[in-house]
Amino acid sequence: MKILRSLSSGAVRSLRSWKGVLIIWFFSLLLMSLFVIPMKGMVRAGFGNSMITERLLDGLDIEVISDLGPFLKSLASYFFSGFFFVIFMGIIVNTFFAGGLFNSLKSSSGKFSVSYFFRACARYFWYFLGMYFMITLMIFVFALLVVGLPVGLTVQSGTGPGPVTYIVGITTLVIFLAAEAVFLLVADFARAWLVSAEKPAFFKALGFGFSETFSRFGSSFPMMLILMIIQSLFAWLVIIIIRSWIPGTGEGVFLLFLVSQFLIFMKILLKAWRYGSVTCLMEENNITN
Amino acid sequence: MMNRKAVSFFTLLVFAGSLHSQIINPKPLSHRLTGYNFDVKLDTATKTVTGTMEAFWINNTSEVVQDIQLHMYMNAFKSRNSTLYKESGRSPGKKRSDQGWINIISLTDRNGTDLTPLMQYISPDDANPSDSTVLQVILPEAANPGDTVFIRADFETKLPSRIRRTGFCGEFFFVAQWFPKFGVYEPAGMRQRAQSGWNCHQFHLDSEFYSDHSVYDVKITLPKRYVVGSGGMLINEYAADSNLKTLTFRAEDIVDFAWTAWPGYKVFTDQWEHVSITLLLPEARVKQVDRQFIAVKNALEYLTKNVGPFPWPHLTFIDPPTIGAGAGGMEYTTLFTSVSADRMPEWMHLPEMATVHEFGHAYFMGILASNEFEEPWMDEGINSFWEVRIMDHYWGENSGAVDLPYLKISDKTFTRLTYTRSDNNQVISNNEYSWNYPHGTYGMMSYNKAATWLYALMGIIGEETTNEIFREYYREWAFKHPSGKDFVNVVNEVVKKIHGDKYGADMNWFFDQTLYGTGICDYRVSNITNRKLPSEKEKQENDSLSKDLASKDSIYKAVVQLERIGEVMLPVDVLVRFENGDEILENWDGKARYKDYTYLGHGKIKWVKIDPEYKNKMDVNFINNSRTNDPDRVPVRRFADKLISLMQLYISVITL
Repeated sequence: MKILRSLSSGAVRSLRSWKGVLIIWFFSLLLMSLFVIPMKGMVRAGFGNSMITERLLDGLDIEVISDLGPFLKSLASYFFSGFFFVIFMGIIVNTFFAGGLFNSLKSSSGKFSVSYFFRACARYFWYFLGMYFMITLMIFVFALLVVGLPVGLTVQSGTGPGPVTYIVGITTLVIFLAAEAVFLLVADFARAWLVSAEKPAFFKALGFGFSETFSRFGSSFPMMLILMIIQSLFAWLVIIIIRSWIPGTGEGVFLLFLVSQFLIFMKILLKAWRYGSVTCLMEENNITN
Repeated sequence: MMNRKAVSFFTLLVFAGSLHSQIINPKPLSHRLTGYNFDVKLDTATKTVTGTMEAFWINNTSEVVQDIQLHMYMNAFKSRNSTLYKESGRSPGKKRSDQGWINIISLTDRNGTDLTPLMQYISPDDANPSDSTVLQVILPEAANPGDTVFIRADFETKLPSRIRRTGFCGEFFFVAQWFPKFGVYEPAGMRQRAQSGWNCHQFHLDSEFYSDHSVYDVKITLPKRYVVGSGGMLINEYAADSNLKTLTFRAEDIVDFAWTAWPGYKVFTDQWEHVSITLLLPEARVKQVDRQFIAVKNALEYLTKNVGPFPWPHLTFIDPPTIGAGAGGMEYTTLFTSVSADRMPEWMHLPEMATVHEFGHAYFMGILASNEFEEPWMDEGINSFWEVRIMDHYWGENSGAVDLPYLKISDKTFTRLTYTRSDNNQVISNNEYSWNYPHGTYGMMSYNKAATWLYALMGIIGEETTNEIFREYYREWAFKHPSGKDFVNVVNEVVKKIHGDKYGADMNWFFDQTLYGTGICDYRVSNITNRKLPSEKEKQENDSLSKDLASKDSIYKAVVQLERIGEVMLPVDVLVRFENGDEILENWDGKARYKDYTYLGHGKIKWVKIDPEYKNKMDVNFINNSRTNDPDRVPVRRFADKLISLMQLYISVITL
């Protein structure tokens, strides 16, 4: 019951914060557009007034792309050098807005206010950034120890890659995914605590994240699993739709743009739902205590 | 009691008789100028093959020959000073057990005369004194025309640990280039050779082989638990003792004999028309058995139909295990090795490509036994051309190499791009000895460029003429040693016979540019202009009726400007489309540096395409082959939109 209550309350809170979600969506679109639009210009210049683009109407054609020659090299250079920068910027921007979003999902937040949202973003930014790097590092080290090491040792053993490696790989991957749910819970509880604490403190928040996760493991873990499964299925659906939809007209491409951006908005909304649900669970636990 | 010479002579007579008897093929397919009879033992502990070899070479020329020359290729793995390792810059390994070599313990002629004092290693290619891969033996008595030279050798071959086509790894053995093998004695005139002599090259990093068609009787003794595959037919098998077994193989009219032994092989058999096919692979790849058989049967069917019949009733192929991957992708006519991995997705056609390619060598090296040292394109290039055709025919015109729902790559695209996108595709022509290709261009030039210009040739003369060329090439040169010039002559004959003088007196102009030239081919549409011309009525300014009709009656002078950027001149089609729907197909000989086509009376030009069907695969850039004043931006916009959305999604997923 507690799980369902938290999930439903989280959904209501996230819908209430739709403006915050809209802001995050807008800035992510802006950031990616700043990166991709120059690329589009380079590709257009590469093709010039050629008719060869008709071969791309049905999808990717390696021969056509490869014939871009020096343009392709410049394009690849731009993409690979810019990709990591834009991803880094994306992380910074999302971390920045997460503070505002968490703050707006508290029960005490009341009506959504844009200025209040941005103030919270600024106030919690460094805490949230630290939290992001700390939890990401933990996930990375855990993945290395739990997945990388056993699989690597199996591959290195005399038999080479084979069925044993496959079984070890699948088993450790399942363990890793379960552990990732725990790490996400820690991060979410910690951030929910930060925005509700009168005196935010980084390590205190992290400690709270761990203690809250494991003291209410029976309710928090299944809830996070449900949220993770829903989010993963939705992300998979988005990928399938974007990948398989190949419009051949200008109108079709515009429709693709609208639909895909709506789906991205929904994906951010789902994340807000997760934040809201965890916040709700934390508040409920505190009331129980 | 018979004396020793008489016994030797009698033995040789029996041996020669057995090699000339018909056990596999109803009639000899080749002249069988050489033959080999082995009785060897594989010592799995010391990684050696030891035993005896009886062999003959027939002097089928009109000249007296003073010596014989033998390939001793296992000595390439003897030290880092061999030509192979000098060219690669590596070493065969630090430990002595890593090295490979071949020792002749004794060598006698038909009279039992010891030939070892007459042996010397020579290095005809690079004069490297440390290379011992070619052995010259001065004959005690010169071989007169028609003479048969018999030799008997006791030898020991140590296999190298780093498998480079041959060697061992653990219990896996691939035994190739393992015995003293005759070079090819070429009389003057053969392959346009000025003077007679042995063609017996050293073992090089970037080279394959050249041999006469021979008959092999091979008796191999090895531990019972080993599974053996070879290029021969299994004639006999019996237990040598409680732990050992002896297998006897026979192969006829093939250019090399190799074999493999590994306890882990699983054996599968299938049949295609008259050919019994055997496949050996590791247990982890049993799921790929059907894929492998389909590939080899498709290749058999396609090459039989378009080139000529596969003459042997047996064929064995190996998919080596991961530990023996270095033996993969090699051909020994009736034995070849494929390439795969334990987990190979269905959409990735690498195993099929490797199988089709390596099988194809049975034709373009096995039957049409060109000299791979001196003209590697004749085997690798022609064979790649046929591999591409087979893959794209059976696995999809656009998906011969990769067949994913949203990414398809044809084998011909893969081949063309390897050539056209290479940074050094102009440094050397295709007409070069294999080890002389500079800057790592051997593979790109001998495989990909040759296959690409063969495709371009097919684009000019048509598919059926191309097939007829290869049928004639097969009829004229099967079980002989054709040269590149011989192939060109066949092309000239067939094209002339089918098309007359349509392409000129001969096709040498094509080969001079592609095979013997270093230029690139690149055509482009540089501009389209649509200039409105005032009509007669427009000139009558005071005529109000004419003014009304002016726009309708005005005609356009439409001009297409074409340019040849590259050096290579090939005939190309030019398709011009007008806004009113008219289409005009021009045939440009492609010779001039620039060419303008002017049109009146068709209205505005909508677009122009040079080589609209992309038949000229030599063209290094298809993008500039067409032009329109209204390019379709939809694919680029779609790509940008999708990239934006997917990157947004990615950011959303990776941020906590």
